[in-house]
Amino acid sequence: MSNEPVILIIDDEEIVRDSCTLVLSKCNYRIYAAPDGNAGLKMVEEHKPDLVFVDLKMPGISGMEVLERLQKIDTTIVAIVITGYATIDTAVEAMKRGAYDFLPKPFSTDELRLITKRGVDKRRLLLDAIALRREKEIIRENFTSIVSHELKSPLFAVQQTLYAFLAGAAGEISPAQVEMLERIRNRVDGMLKLINSWVEMTSIDFRQLRERFKPLDIPALLSKALEVLQARAVGRNIRIVTHFPSSVEPVDGDEGTLLEVFLNIIGNAIKYSDTDRDVSIAIEDKKHELRISISDTGVGIEKEDIPFIFEDFYRGKAQSKTGELGSGLGLAISKRIINAHNGSIAVESERGKGSTFTVTLSRGREKQDRR
Amino acid sequence: MDGKRILIVDDDPDYVSAVKMVLEKANYVVEAKYSPQDGYRALENSEFDLVILDCMMGRGAEGIIVARKLRKKKELGELPILMVTGIRDQTGFFFVGDPRDETFLPVDGFLEKPVVPDVLLKEVGKLLQGRKTSESKKGE
Repeated sequence: MSNEPVILIIDDEEIVRDSCTLVLSKCNYRIYAAPDGNAGLKMVEEHKPDLVFVDLKMPGISGMEVLERLQKIDTTIVAIVITGYATIDTAVEAMKRGAYDFLPKPFSTDELRLITKRGVDKRRLLLDAIALRREKEIIRENFTSIVSHELKSPLFAVQQTLYAFLAGAAGEISPAQVEMLERIRNRVDGMLKLINSWVEMTSIDFRQLRERFKPLDIPALLSKALEVLQARAVGRNIRIVTHFPSSVEPVDGDEGTLLEVFLNIIGNAIKYSDTDRDVSIAIEDKKHELRISISDTGVGIEKEDIPFIFEDFYRGKAQSKTGELGSGLGLAISKRIINAHNGSIAVESERGKGSTFTVTLSRGREKQDRR
Repeated sequence: MDGKRILIVDDDPDYVSAVKMVLEKANYVVEAKYSPQDGYRALENSEFDLVILDCMMGRGAEGIIVARKLRKKKELGELPILMVTGIRDQTGFFFVGDPRDETFLPVDGFLEKPVVPDVLLKEVGKLLQGRKTSESKKGE
């Protein structure tokens, strides 16, 4: 709304139009008046009012119709109905057609001023809400690229310099210096991971995920995840045992994001296990759904942490065995992805004994019928 | 690998100096340019054995544009290109580790920033080995 709120009065009685204009012109408004619906609607297009007073009973098109057409022009224009024969029924009817309030004739100047102020405030709120929503959308869109570049670039430079330092490119360094530099390197590393997860969470458009769905071979997808994690598992001497049925019917899903989920959960299992342990992955093929469970015998999750582990930025008390800090976003992202697949993700865990994460993916209806 | 000439094209001078130190310690001769335009000009005007190209420069994935231009140019068509990019930089069309379309992204190697020195030296060594030396090229 630009500085002066614009008000339009549509009423066939000249005395009403004149009186209203007189009363309101003392306040800071720009006022227009029209004697009938058609002239009024033309003025709406022309002057883009914030608030419109509409008399219900007028020659030509009725006040109710004016209300309806106003809604079609701009739903944020606030309409207030003026009428000489106030009944509950007409009030309800007017509200249904988008009126914000109701002003029964005869009314006092104070009543008019008050209702006008309320209407103008309402319009301001509506416009603010729209502007905020748009701003939020723009922030979300820009966030990814801004964060990618502006936050990550300096960290890359820092990290690369530390790497050069540690590699002795600036001369020999003592073991104590190595230790200190490594500590810095690990913290920078954690920060980069956090930024990456954050970017990922804001950049996945969960509403559009379904459009990319195609039948997926889940054992193959899990094997792909295991390939990526192989080095990490071998490094900690962790054996990954798979229990896959000989044939598994495909499930509809989005390959990229589901792979992300499995990388995250299996990666956690490796991270939170002692060395020389097994991590087992099992697929259970039910008729309507596929259950994938990933079990470790690692540190487990504190009972009080369990209800929160899928929340953004929540990190349980358990320390990973590799000393790396998580972002607190991995499971939150995973849960969102699985939810977008109409699936569910659950955990069973006991501190000191290990955890089992179970992802359940449901099969589409037509798939069930075919089976 | 003594004396092989490497050009780094990257718009972050601090990042470049760290990479340069590692390469120089391994006895490479390293030059740096800080914009895609300057980088391309340097490649046109003097001879290098390898170029390390940052993917995201200027207004976006301009490193890719440079790579494509290099491939189209006859004299530079066989210059090994090692591209580096931030992990999951939003280039909009590829991720590190995804299968790469050779015409779409015509580079010989691809590494994620920050690059561990051992990994960088290994990749640089590999790419330089695959390259015909300037001597044998002249003999053809």
